[in-house]
Amino acid sequence: MIFTILKKDLRLYFSDKKGILVTFLLPIIMITLFAFAFGGVAKKKSAPKPLGVLVVDKDTTVTSQELIAKLNSLPTIRLIPSEEENALNLVRKGENVAALIIENGFSEAIKIEADLPVELKYDAARDLQMRIVHTLLKEGFKYHLGKGDAISEVKLKTTSLIKESFTKAHPGLVQAVGGTAIMMLLFSIAAIGGGLLDEKEAGTLKRLLIAPVKPLDILLAKMGTAMIVSILQLTVMFIFAWVAFGLPIFMDISSLIILILCISFAVSSFGVFLVSTVKTRQQLQGMSTIIIILMSAIGGSMIPISMMPAFMQDIAIISVNYWGIEGFFDIFWRQLPMIDILPKMGILLAIGIGMTLVSTVLFKKNIIEIA
Amino acid sequence: MIQVQNLSKSFQAIKAVDDISFTIKKGEIFGLLGPNGAGKSTTLNMMSAILKSDEGTIQMDGNTIKGHSKECKHLIGVVPQEISLYEDLSAYKNLLFWGNLYGIPSKELKDRIHTTLELIGLLDRKNDLIKTYSGGMKRRINIAAALLHQPKVLFMDEPTVGIDPQSRNHIFEVIETLNKQGMTIVYTTHYMEEVERLCDRIAIIDSGKIIAQGTQAQLKELVPTKESIQFEFSFLSESNVNQLRERLPYIMTQNKSKLIVQSTVKELSKIITVCNELQLNIKDIQLNKVNLEAIFLSLTGKQLRD
Repeated sequence: MIFTILKKDLRLYFSDKKGILVTFLLPIIMITLFAFAFGGVAKKKSAPKPLGVLVVDKDTTVTSQELIAKLNSLPTIRLIPSEEENALNLVRKGENVAALIIENGFSEAIKIEADLPVELKYDAARDLQMRIVHTLLKEGFKYHLGKGDAISEVKLKTTSLIKESFTKAHPGLVQAVGGTAIMMLLFSIAAIGGGLLDEKEAGTLKRLLIAPVKPLDILLAKMGTAMIVSILQLTVMFIFAWVAFGLPIFMDISSLIILILCISFAVSSFGVFLVSTVKTRQQLQGMSTIIIILMSAIGGSMIPISMMPAFMQDIAIISVNYWGIEGFFDIFWRQLPMIDILPKMGILLAIGIGMTLVSTVLFKKNIIEIA
Repeated sequence: MIQVQNLSKSFQAIKAVDDISFTIKKGEIFGLLGPNGAGKSTTLNMMSAILKSDEGTIQMDGNTIKGHSKECKHLIGVVPQEISLYEDLSAYKNLLFWGNLYGIPSKELKDRIHTTLELIGLLDRKNDLIKTYSGGMKRRINIAAALLHQPKVLFMDEPTVGIDPQSRNHIFEVIETLNKQGMTIVYTTHYMEEVERLCDRIAIIDSGKIIAQGTQAQLKELVPTKESIQFEFSFLSESNVNQLRERLPYIMTQNKSKLIVQSTVKELSKIITVCNELQLNIKDIQLNKVNLEAIFLSLTGKQLRD
């Protein structure tokens, strides 16, 4: 009897293709992603993309130029010449991990074997990358300056360009709140979008179509609901982070409000897009779980972007999570003015508009025609 | 009121509606009778302007649906086959929502909800959630939601499926009341008793085609005898039926082990003799007056509930 029931259950289980995808494919994808992020798998397969470090050569001597050229031969670092102001600005904005400042008197210091007037100014939000850069540069200095055994330690001064303070959040907190908030929002919105499929199954969608209502109105109303819920959810989450962990949400409240609106729009359109690509609730459950977890993993909700290999950082830009999290870092950590955060907000809006347009076409095809 | 001409609709290889034409007069109850999958709902969906036809035209009150769907949607009320209501809202809030979609002014809508709930006999339960209603009560609210904008025509797609006889009677009374008030009603069903009770004219539909239409009297004329005898055998093969047809001059329709013979009771003994000679074991005999079921059987060779 047990065997008969077991056989039936297995037959039913394996007849559900979406269930199989969630059971087997999703863990395989997640293992692969985490292996690339933590396990150094990418290094075995191919050379990693070098980390871009800005270099400001104030010494401008043959010695300093030669050293820069030699350091540039390291496979993991690419030194990009820059003016000091521009270099520091780019690091502050999170565009580059660090700027190496070679001060006047560098070649002179080598000659007299004094402390080297060099400084590495970095973005502390990219702590892991910074440690790699610091170690590599120190080793590079020792090797190329021929001080391998003579000097046990090359002093490479490091300075964080963005300092923690009472008015600034710790990057870990920004990552935790921002990353988790967006990922959970995606799940909530997929569920709200699923209401459209419930309406289809219950027959109320058909009744809506019978009434003098445009199909697009139905879609936009559903998206509007999702957006209001998104705004409320994000607001509650940030208020909680403020009360519980002291996240300074009032530091730049106008930027935060606009970013929340942009994220809510992008996530709502993503929810409607998901719903428009499927025909049943079951399909939605399987597909949304896979896509949301995948997008959150790639986009930095689960693992900080800076810990990911370069190729994963490149594909992170396809996810809503990435732009949202980066926006939160700009507000709470980098403390950028709104004008510098606007491009990220614009990308979120563009994602939202694009997905809404695609959803409109798919909605007509997949939902209405079979309502 | 409504003119349907050469209407066709296919879903991939399946022709759901195949070149049908009919006219519905103002103030009549028009029945679309046919078994499940005959094409009734597809026809109604096209008439409700939510499904595009492949071919043909539908005219409603002088307007062609194609290009005038918004105007036509205000003319019609549709009672879908499914209970298309929000289970977690009260009857009143459901009606308020559906009424608002038609742009009815707030005060007028409230009055109309009151009148409609009174008509369907659920005024005292208006604040209860739909999920607490019985199947029959839900069906009545399902009808009410289609009446708020005071349509000229009401399409009812199998509105009595799965309900008790008492609720069914209540729905019939509502339909008769609405019709007396001048509303044109298009009623689809596979229950011939409902059509016989309610409809002035009937179109019988099978496999997407209208196989007969007219008043009940006109349809009954299609069958030569006014009575039919239904035999049920222990076993009945097609060759048995052919043998019977060779020896008896009546129209016969086979359905598994049942055989309906369009004949009168006077011929009964003769038929039984032939059956005995062919060694057919008769289990049951029923004498029926010709009804829509018998007409459908004689026209299609199938029962309505097949």
